[in-house]
Amino acid sequence: MSWVSGVRARLRLIFAPRAAESRMNEEMAFHMEMETDRLVREERLSRDEARRRANVAFGGVTQHKEELRNGRGLAWLGGLSLDMKLGFRMLVKYPGLTLVGGLAMAFAIWVGAVTFEIVGLFLYPTLPLPDGDRIVQIRNWDAAANSAEPRVLQDFITWRRVLTSITDIGTYRDVTRNLIVDGAGDARPVAVAEITPAAFRIAPAAPLHGRVLVEADERAGAPPVVVIGYELWRTRFASDVNVVGRSVRLDDMFATVVGVMPEGFAFPVSHELWMPLHVDALALAPGEGVDINVFGKLAPGVTRKAAQAELTWLGLRTAAQRPDTHKHVLPRVDAYAELFRDRSHTDVALLLSINVFAMMLTVLLCGNVALLLFARAATRESELIVRSALGASRRRIIVQLFVEALVLGGVASAVGLAAAHVGLHQWGRDYIELNMGRLPFWADPHLSLATVLYTLVLMVLGAAIAGVLPALKITRGLGSNLKQATAGGGSLRFGGVWTAVIITQVALTVAFPVVAYVEQRELVRIQSFDVGFAAAEYLAVRLDMDGAIVPETDAEKAHTAQNVRFGAALEAVRQRVLAEPGVGGVTFVDRLPRASHRERMIELDEPPVLNAKGVLPLREVSLASIDPSYFDVLKAPMLAGRAFHTGDAASGVRVVIVDQGFVDQVLLGRNAIGRRFRFAGSDDEPRPWYEIVGVVKDLGMGLATHMRRAAGVYMPASLASGGPFNMVVHVQGDPLVLVPRVRTIATSVDPTLQASEPQRLSDVASGILWFLGLWLRITVVLTAIALLLSLAGIYAVLSFTVTRRTREIGVRVALGANRRRVVTAIFRRPLTQVGLGVMAGGVLVGVAALIRSDGGLSAGQVALLLAYVMLMLGICLLACVVPTWRALKVEPTVALRAE
Amino acid sequence: MTTRTQTDALRGSLDLLVLKTLSLVPMHGWGISQRIQQISEGILEVNQGSLYPALQRLEKNGLISSDWGTTDNNRRARYYRLTAAGRRALGQELESWKRFATGLDAVLRST
Repeated sequence: MSWVSGVRARLRLIFAPRAAESRMNEEMAFHMEMETDRLVREERLSRDEARRRANVAFGGVTQHKEELRNGRGLAWLGGLSLDMKLGFRMLVKYPGLTLVGGLAMAFAIWVGAVTFEIVGLFLYPTLPLPDGDRIVQIRNWDAAANSAEPRVLQDFITWRRVLTSITDIGTYRDVTRNLIVDGAGDARPVAVAEITPAAFRIAPAAPLHGRVLVEADERAGAPPVVVIGYELWRTRFASDVNVVGRSVRLDDMFATVVGVMPEGFAFPVSHELWMPLHVDALALAPGEGVDINVFGKLAPGVTRKAAQAELTWLGLRTAAQRPDTHKHVLPRVDAYAELFRDRSHTDVALLLSINVFAMMLTVLLCGNVALLLFARAATRESELIVRSALGASRRRIIVQLFVEALVLGGVASAVGLAAAHVGLHQWGRDYIELNMGRLPFWADPHLSLATVLYTLVLMVLGAAIAGVLPALKITRGLGSNLKQATAGGGSLRFGGVWTAVIITQVALTVAFPVVAYVEQRELVRIQSFDVGFAAAEYLAVRLDMDGAIVPETDAEKAHTAQNVRFGAALEAVRQRVLAEPGVGGVTFVDRLPRASHRERMIELDEPPVLNAKGVLPLREVSLASIDPSYFDVLKAPMLAGRAFHTGDAASGVRVVIVDQGFVDQVLLGRNAIGRRFRFAGSDDEPRPWYEIVGVVKDLGMGLATHMRRAAGVYMPASLASGGPFNMVVHVQGDPLVLVPRVRTIATSVDPTLQASEPQRLSDVASGILWFLGLWLRITVVLTAIALLLSLAGIYAVLSFTVTRRTREIGVRVALGANRRRVVTAIFRRPLTQVGLGVMAGGVLVGVAALIRSDGGLSAGQVALLLAYVMLMLGICLLACVVPTWRALKVEPTVALRAE
Repeated sequence: MTTRTQTDALRGSLDLLVLKTLSLVPMHGWGISQRIQQISEGILEVNQGSLYPALQRLEKNGLISSDWGTTDNNRRARYYRLTAAGRRALGQELESWKRFATGLDAVLRST
């Protein structure tokens, strides 16, 4: 086992350097003693002479010791620690560069970490449950429709009975119910999972109080029970420790609380309350019934592939037995934690490409930092030449500069990661939920280990660009520079690559503030948009009602009955709310002003009329269904024609009211009353004509972010035509004060009526404003960094030029040349680069403005653009002030002495 | 490049000498240097200091191992001994050296 002793020897040398050092000293001392003794003994020399001769015979002790140290294998580690110390010293010595370069790298790391974390959240979600990677979902896939078929109650019962490769098979139904707590007055809709008890085996968690659901709760005739979530327990039950046994009402059903789940428990997705799913009662015909989701856990030792094989076999058998419903259906087993169900390869590629963009940003920013580091390294050229002359190899110097960049990158990464942690923690969840709705419990944006490792890769990449690129350039031909340097003139020049970097950087610097400006204007536009009525005085509440579960054969009848019940409930709520003090009016609309509306293409009942530009005017309209009282309550009088009356909402009467935007854009200002239009579509289906009976002013028919003015069409709606509806209440004083009363009224009128999303009508766009505000902040930071980097880059280049050519300036001035002309000649090249960059940026902005403006820039806009370009040129030239001043101050005698 | 080859050759022959010396009996560094000098009758006088890097290199490669021991006159010294791999390597090195010497000898005789 000699290799073992070899490995042991290596490890000892590497990891016990002190022991190795003392062994070396002891061995050499022993050697000297032995040799001295021998010389005294054999050659009869004095002890001193013998020691001298022994020393000579041994050779250079220091050299041999150094050779031994190098041979230990981690000699480079000593060099590395020295380089790192030097790197930290450089950070302190050049605070400006540290700040600017570090900020740029930190920002790149921040962007990289946040995007990687969020992309990972979507693509590779992990379930924070025991054996989370073995928990699966089972779905029926309809090959004909290329979509999942969620009505699988029958199949679920078969799967649960037959499958052996998947255990603990359970199911849940996702519903929203009004939770009414005794004595708590108002009702609030909660996310309920009607679920089988298997869930509590898949996601085991000890209840905080009471118990979880058990099989006995599922049986027909079992007393209705619920388990509540921690947040509900805290907010709706005031953390009552005696909550178990209390009776609550869910819509029109009473149930007893039997347990409280611990904080954070939200299985199966993001649920707050669990009740048994009565599978027996739901045993309907195949392919019928409600939508359910099926989950289970792979049996020990079974792979997902094996489970799929068993399911496929079962699916084929079912298809043969029931070809009418299952001919094209095959069951599929997938990982449970999926944010993107049925994502395509394109989606995955698109998501992954976000990481590529983040990497490109790192490359871009670090390319700029490289410029700064190059300028710094250039000022240290003499030091590097001396090191090279003393025997440092080119590789050694490159490693040194790389480590210096790595130290800067390390500090920047720490800052970037800390910022990413704060950002994800503070805004991550809100940001994603704003875009995607409520997030599942497993989607928790935070810094994961994978993200930290990824940012380390980014850091090394950044340091390689920022450190190695300048090092490669500066160390090329260092030896030959030795002679020139001593002769008094460096050889380093900013070449073509740096020229391109500077120009691009300046161009981006010019473009970024414009982006921030556009975003700011958009924000102001949305904030100050005149919606046409006093929106802050109105309260909006969404009202909806979940249908009961009925067999397919009775569905239509039940649906009609449900709508009638809903309509009657809304009417009753209206009357009760109207009776409240301070309420001026109550009305209903399906889409709130400034929220997103349905959009349809129309065609007019007349030959096409072209606009002044010779093209067909706008034909896309925004639709809203309103209660006939809508305009009265909003205090928006008719500009022409008449308002709706109750008879208009009856089926068969096809009248609409349009807004001024419609008149101006679709009808080009012509009289609207009496004109007819119909919706575009194929002639295979009947397309009735609608008659315009009235015109109102614009009342926010477009989404807040839409730049274009909307063309609105209002259609009369009966409250019994199905929900959901938004109730709009005109209130004196703060509308939100009325919210608890509205909830109480809604529940007392009909316990199944769900009142949600209460808000002032003026706050409809607040989500979008928050989103835009966040982006604005990011853009401002990006702009600041681009500007800082750009100015620092220009400054570095000019400083570098002055330092390099101080001697030349001195000599030329000493020979009688005009100081200013000398400086102008020297700065011509960098100034040209800045000028080109500003021009390129100006062109970029101009082209963007041209595309956005949709047809030419006005003289005013061009003047504004030119003024902006001049301003940016001025700002960039500011960076030249100090170097120019320094160049002008160069005294010939000092310059000549300097070298 | 030439210098490098020479260094390698010297280093290789020093390794061979050390392995051969240790094949008889475990020995400390000074003992090894003395032994080489004695056997070669003073012709191969190694730079004594350069012996230690060679010993460290051979130990790292698992060809020799070392332990503290006591000399005849009761001094603490580091003793080196050949490992099985070292013994095999010595056989191969000797073989290759002999071939090289024979080849060199043949060339020198013919010219």
